[in-house]
Amino acid sequence: MNQEYFDDEEFVGDIDIVAGTYANVDDGEDVEIDDEELIQQAQAGVQSIPEQVRNFLMQFHRNMKNNNLHDLTYGYETQFVRLSEKFFAKGPWPEPQYVAALVKDDGVFLTLYRELYFRHIYSRLHPSLETRFRSFENYCDLFNYILNSDGPIELELPNQWLWDIVDEFIYQFQSFCTHRSRVTKRSEEEIKLLKENSQVWNTYSVLNVLYSLIQKSNISQQLLVQQQGGDVLAAAGEFGSRPLYKMLGYFSIIGLVRVHCMLGDYTLALQTLENIELGNSRALFTRVTACHVTVYYYVGFAYLMMGRYADAIRTFAHILTFVSRTRQYHQRSYQFDTVNKKAEQIPARVDENIHNYLREKYGEQQHKMQRGGEEAIEVVSDLFRFASPKFIAPNPPNYDDLEAAAEAIEPQQFQLKIFLREARLQLVIPTLRSFLKLYTTMGLDRLSTFLEMDAAELRNQLMVYKQRCRQVKWVGGGDLLGGEVVAATDLDFALQEDMIFIAESRIGRKYADWFIRNANKVQDLVNTLESRQKTFIAEAGKPKPAEEEAPAAAVSA
Amino acid sequence: MVSSFVRPSTRPDEIHSLLTGVERYNPQKTTILEDYLARQCANADPLTNHDLMANLSLLKMYQFNPDMVDVDVVRRILAKALISPSTADFNLCLYLLSDEICSDASISKLLTLRDSLERAQFTKFWKEMYGDDDDEESVVDGIAGFENGLRKLIIGNITSTYQTIPAKAVEEMVNLDQDAENGWAVDNGVISLPLKSENKAVATVIKENVKFEQLTKMLSAANDI
Repeated sequence: MNQEYFDDEEFVGDIDIVAGTYANVDDGEDVEIDDEELIQQAQAGVQSIPEQVRNFLMQFHRNMKNNNLHDLTYGYETQFVRLSEKFFAKGPWPEPQYVAALVKDDGVFLTLYRELYFRHIYSRLHPSLETRFRSFENYCDLFNYILNSDGPIELELPNQWLWDIVDEFIYQFQSFCTHRSRVTKRSEEEIKLLKENSQVWNTYSVLNVLYSLIQKSNISQQLLVQQQGGDVLAAAGEFGSRPLYKMLGYFSIIGLVRVHCMLGDYTLALQTLENIELGNSRALFTRVTACHVTVYYYVGFAYLMMGRYADAIRTFAHILTFVSRTRQYHQRSYQFDTVNKKAEQIPARVDENIHNYLREKYGEQQHKMQRGGEEAIEVVSDLFRFASPKFIAPNPPNYDDLEAAAEAIEPQQFQLKIFLREARLQLVIPTLRSFLKLYTTMGLDRLSTFLEMDAAELRNQLMVYKQRCRQVKWVGGGDLLGGEVVAATDLDFALQEDMIFIAESRIGRKYADWFIRNANKVQDLVNTLESRQKTFIAEAGKPKPAEEEAPAAAVSA
Repeated sequence: MVSSFVRPSTRPDEIHSLLTGVERYNPQKTTILEDYLARQCANADPLTNHDLMANLSLLKMYQFNPDMVDVDVVRRILAKALISPSTADFNLCLYLLSDEICSDASISKLLTLRDSLERAQFTKFWKEMYGDDDDEESVVDGIAGFENGLRKLIIGNITSTYQTIPAKAVEEMVNLDQDAENGWAVDNGVISLPLKSENKAVATVIKENVKFEQLTKMLSAANDI
């Protein structure tokens, strides 16, 4: 197992180092202002906070201090959102320095408040470079506090919040990488700042945080023991038995999957999940919907990029079914239909599946893809751009050669290029299939006339078809990378020299559905009869001679 | 087919622990992985001479530390992935590279070779692989058993598609003048290939598979009646 190697000492890059101060970034203001003025300023700042918000913050703080998880969850999930909408739809939440006065300078609370404060800026406004730096610094403070205390910290946060912390941390990292790589949009000062602070949002430090959270919580051992049986509490240890550490560790595993995908390392992404049972409907990831969707999305995407289309379809189909069920569409038959349709689709169109539940919306694109040709490739690449995760380059661009840096091809473009090459190869399938489907035997020369293709090239294409129709498919178990080669087509053929023998698989009649439906019908009938019988007996027992005829009539009707 | 993700018997413990821990991010370990690649390249046994996971982690090292990139190492990793029985290996390596590395002459040559191979244009592949000039260094130099690995791959393709095929066609595709028969029955210059699931082409009827668990709800309800 890999746990014993998670050792922060030996890990390159340490968050302690990067959590220091930054060159060129300081507030500057507090240098020559005397105390009295400062106090006045602070008072004015506090006064500027709407009363409702002040009350919320104080109560929020109290609930956190008292570890009142229930009220804290309500405050986080409901009140904060509501107040953001009401007071801060177009601006930031109150400056953390003014909030300090309300919460008796509680450092931990303020760190968590700043996390919310920055997250709000990221989601509604345009974070400046300085904001990005300060937010990173705040994350370092938070994770240092959690990871480097002597014993486990006495703090409990709702699962949703813990997930959001990990999720947002990675989002801001990704956002920063994209931000810094667009060198043409950065001002000279910004470039200078970026150059001097290369440790900020450094890939190593981000990975270090995630790996450290995983290690501290012993989450991998916990999951392993849970699967194989044994003393989970002993495996969890002092830190890992606390919900805060356990969930942060768990979410960090999912976070790692995301980071690996963003870097194009799909094998490592799937390997990371080795101790998480994806099929388990009671697994921890199901506790937070966003996390549930994230896991499946990245696993599905990794499969897609690996050319394991059947697995990608299965994964996407699972999560789409889940999403539409929780949205209470209750269109079961429609869902089954979608899944079946997906299964029939040839691999090149798999990307479509991400949107398949919006079939009406994407009907046109799907049609184009089925027709094949260059147009299909265009559609696939459009959908890819829309549906793929944001890819990042792990290293900063060369700030000394801005011209070259500006011309550098974006990571997403690079990943897309490789994916499209693969998709292009799949294009041969629909054309060949449509002709082969019409015959049981066929001469090679005849097919080559139909296709207006040279016989030698056609031979090659047939081999490509054969190759492309076989793919690795997951066969169960915890190892998501494993699987066996299966045929992914309903139309198979073999060549005897120049004669093609074609075999088409058909779907047999289905009895189970009919059987189950009718069994349910009988059950309903029996239930109705029984309840009527009961009513009848009950009615009969009552002394109502005048109406005695009525229930009997109901039964016969 | 052996999966590329299973630990090969030739992977030493040292490499294995490197791959499964955070040491895989330590740039100082790059040379260990490079040496291991050299050993893979010297080994001609196709069953044990490819460790994709180790090579991917080496490429990741390069991804994180662009100043350490050794294009010749990248070339050899890609060439090895090219003849790997699992077709996805090459792409998995490619995803970790950058456009800059891919524009290197030897790497882009490998990409062209890969195109021919995937389009089943085998004769073209052999021609391109050697180039016009005999003295010219090939992009697949320094990899023990490359040609045989490649032939095995091509033969796999042929035997999945054909039941019978002219011996001459096979010889051309695997670039051998004779002895390409591989112990197969030859009649009048036509090889009869052994039948396997891939080249049988039997029509099947896909039947539904209802598991007992799916019926438990109904059965328990029936029990109440």
